[in-house]
Amino acid sequence: MIGAALLAFAVPRPARAFGERSAFDPRVLLAGGTTGPAHLSAPSRWSRELQDRTSAPARLTPSSVHADEPAIVDAPFVYWSGDQAVSELTPGEVSGLRRFFGLGGMMLVDDANPGSSGAPSPFTRSVRNQLARVLPDATPIALGIKHVLYHSFYLLNRAEGRVLGPPEVDAIVRGGEAQVIFTQNDLGGALARGASGIWEAPVVPGDELQREHAIRLAVNIAMYVLCTNYKDDQVHAPFLMRRRAHASLPTEP
Amino acid sequence: MPTTRFAPTSDLPSWAVVVACVLAAASFALLLVEMRRRERGGAVIVVTGIAAVASLLFAVLRPVRIAARESVVGARVVVLADASRSMALPGDGRGTRRDERDFAIATLQKSAPDARLLVLGFGDGAPKPLAPGSDGRAMRSDLTTAIRALAASPDERPAAVIVVSDGRLDDPPDGADDTVDSRASLAALGAEIHVPIHTVATTRTAPADASVRHVSASGAAVAHVPMSLRVEIGCGGGLACDELTVTARELRDDAPPALLASGLAHVKDGKATVDLTVTLERAGARILEVAIAPPSGDTIPENDHRFLTFNVARERVRVLHVAGMPTNDVRELRLWLKSDASLDIVAFFILRTETDKTDPHAANGQAPESELALIPFPVDELFSEHLPSFDAVVLQNIDAVQYKLDRHLGELASYVKGGGGLIMVGGENSFIRGGYAGTPLGNVLPVDLDGTPGATPDDATPFAPKWTAQGKAAPLLRPLRTVVGDELPLMPGTNVLGDVRPGGVALWTHPTRTTKSGAPMPVLAIGDEGDGRSIALAIDGLWQLKFSQLGARTAGRGHGALWDGLLGWLMRDPRFEPAQMEIVGGCTAGLPSTLRVQVLPGASDPIVVDVSQIDKTSGAPPLHLEAHRASPDDTTIDLALRALGPGGYTARLRVGDGSATRRDFACEAGGDEWADSRPDPEWLHALASATHGSFAYATDAASIPFPKPTVVSAERHVVPLAPPWMWSLVAAVLLGAHWFARRRSGLA
Repeated sequence: MIGAALLAFAVPRPARAFGERSAFDPRVLLAGGTTGPAHLSAPSRWSRELQDRTSAPARLTPSSVHADEPAIVDAPFVYWSGDQAVSELTPGEVSGLRRFFGLGGMMLVDDANPGSSGAPSPFTRSVRNQLARVLPDATPIALGIKHVLYHSFYLLNRAEGRVLGPPEVDAIVRGGEAQVIFTQNDLGGALARGASGIWEAPVVPGDELQREHAIRLAVNIAMYVLCTNYKDDQVHAPFLMRRRAHASLPTEP
Repeated sequence: MPTTRFAPTSDLPSWAVVVACVLAAASFALLLVEMRRRERGGAVIVVTGIAAVASLLFAVLRPVRIAARESVVGARVVVLADASRSMALPGDGRGTRRDERDFAIATLQKSAPDARLLVLGFGDGAPKPLAPGSDGRAMRSDLTTAIRALAASPDERPAAVIVVSDGRLDDPPDGADDTVDSRASLAALGAEIHVPIHTVATTRTAPADASVRHVSASGAAVAHVPMSLRVEIGCGGGLACDELTVTARELRDDAPPALLASGLAHVKDGKATVDLTVTLERAGARILEVAIAPPSGDTIPENDHRFLTFNVARERVRVLHVAGMPTNDVRELRLWLKSDASLDIVAFFILRTETDKTDPHAANGQAPESELALIPFPVDELFSEHLPSFDAVVLQNIDAVQYKLDRHLGELASYVKGGGGLIMVGGENSFIRGGYAGTPLGNVLPVDLDGTPGATPDDATPFAPKWTAQGKAAPLLRPLRTVVGDELPLMPGTNVLGDVRPGGVALWTHPTRTTKSGAPMPVLAIGDEGDGRSIALAIDGLWQLKFSQLGARTAGRGHGALWDGLLGWLMRDPRFEPAQMEIVGGCTAGLPSTLRVQVLPGASDPIVVDVSQIDKTSGAPPLHLEAHRASPDDTTIDLALRALGPGGYTARLRVGDGSATRRDFACEAGGDEWADSRPDPEWLHALASATHGSFAYATDAASIPFPKPTVVSAERHVVPLAPPWMWSLVAAVLLGAHWFARRRSGLA
């Protein structure tokens, strides 16, 4: 029934966009006193992993933006990570974030210092409190395993990061879209990698497979940003359901 | 004609006259009874008594002399003559029914020279004066509307109505004259005008003819949805019909008609019904030809096929969105497409290329398929089997060669020419770099693509697109201009495009780049190609209409406004068309018609229209029309179309040097009027009976009774015979004489 497979390409070609402007940019959000990502190399590693593993173009040198500057509305995604509580957002920051969300922007809130059991750190608690001021009409909910976030590129069975943490991510869902995604697994910690190629932080409690799963979750989140619920389309659903069902069968010897 | 007559004075009521006369008569009677008993002197008493009573009566009546100039005016009789196309069908003799109709009218005029005959033609709408010998052009035979118009007219009400027709009228339906309802409706028709309706049938016998009598669809025509057509076949006049093949074909631009369905009609009692199921893939006005293979001896070949215009609606617009890589531009377009409930989106995004390593730890760099949510890109299935089911295809930054789309570009080009919509959205793998230059698909884009080796495929210099005059005037960009005005965000780069192809229009251009001809390079261009439309959009930064400072100021509405206009124009949404066209009163083959054009206020001149046959079977050159409006405020222009042959036609219109629009229409030789060639004198007979009128055939039209003429006074002079006092005096004297005579003879 299906013709040429995705992998059957005659001529390999680089995938680019004009000047990276339309590419995925894990923009670092500077708000509530944060001055940068919790793991400095995480955003660029995220872009690198996305570009190496998928067709999506990504900015290898991600930008950063203050919540209260006009440029907050210049792209549809921001990445807010931290390992300690944020301070109260200024009125300018609240206003900027409201404009950003009003246009349909998406945000990933990545807890860089969760408890080993995945308990939210002061960072997550404070960010949730501050975002409640920005989006008072919305409450975070857990995204179950059937959410498109878990199959936007890789088929994932749970959320993982540097810390195994809770199996599900939370999100503020508005207009059917997860506009704010909360991970309590320190995704950035799993991505962070030094110039020498050494991972900056060991994964807890697992091994490198857990890190691979964390990277895959990061790729899925980026794909969700760029493709939204594409993988929930009717044309994909039966195919992916069969694949999941097949994957759950016991492996034959 | 002058006349003189006498009458009582006008101030006396009728009842007083009657009473006076009765009293006078009674007085005479009493006088006679009294005189019978008398032996002498009776003569004097009688004479004086009669004189006295008479004078008393005159004193009451005070008679006047009326001198008048009077004339006899024939009754006003309206002849409603059938002016429909069916009058051109064969009559009983060698002539047509129109000849028989004119003969009947002439006979009526001769048989009642005093009658004031007003001959009106009925057909479509209110009746109009009919000159003898005039062609029947109306594509309807609507007698009901004609009679209602007569009844509602402020003119003198006719004393009678005479209908001259073949009886094949719009209503009631065939065979309805046997029903109670039909008789009631016929009587009601007569009651509309309160006079008898006489009928004259032009024709008795049916010609030898097999025809497509009627085609009805089960509900509205909706794109991609199977539709049932009920085709009624007729065969009569002595033709030997048993089985007839019925076909339904769609006329397509620059291509042979496409057979949609066929069936076999089994004719019984001169009738047959066939149900055909057809699926029309393209929305808008579509022309279907429903035809039969006629038996030998068929005398009216024109009604063996019908050309029918179906205005095909869309339940939902089906859009195929194919993107070569996920980007912010893909994201925003998808969000907009998915936000519109009237759109049915099928999307395929290329998420992985051959060089991508989905698992760097694996030996081959690839994760097992079971760990990936990726499905094969069904390029062959999509662009061959399912392509016709889409109303529009969006190709966004996808390399045709890499993803094996190149083998289907011919089908895609045919899809566009056949009425599909195509948008090619920019990106580094679009247009030239995507391998579209010099391909069939490149030839249906509104711009040229340079396919020479070494041609510059793109320019990554940021720029703000520049509005062209046509872009500012284009209805499809009006929603965007309403939101953002002339401002557009800075685009990160552009594909390099060539000149706009003939028929295309550049709406945005690059501020500095030019084409080989030296013209500003188009960035956004639209064009009509065959039956379809295409759009070339050489940028991948439209998402910045939402996410930018401009986007923030406009609440991001510009992005949706632009895509609403682009997709709407592609789907021929009337909101985004530069003009609307219609054939006034429909098109009848062999007769001139009028094309009415309605342009937007402020539209530029000239208005250029090319009318051509859809399938080009006749090889006739397009009919070229051009009009300049007297005033820029004129929004309606009527263009005369010369007589066209039967078939499907396309009128392509261009307003000034702006975008174009089209209208498909069908021309039929006879349409419904010729579909059933049998005359129906029985219905005319029933109409006359129900309205207390008379029925006759044309050869016996003189037998139709006419109402009596009316006497009309033109001048009237009233003169009293004597003044009232004179009548009173004479009455008093004569009463005195009578009293004296009675006294002399011994009476009291």
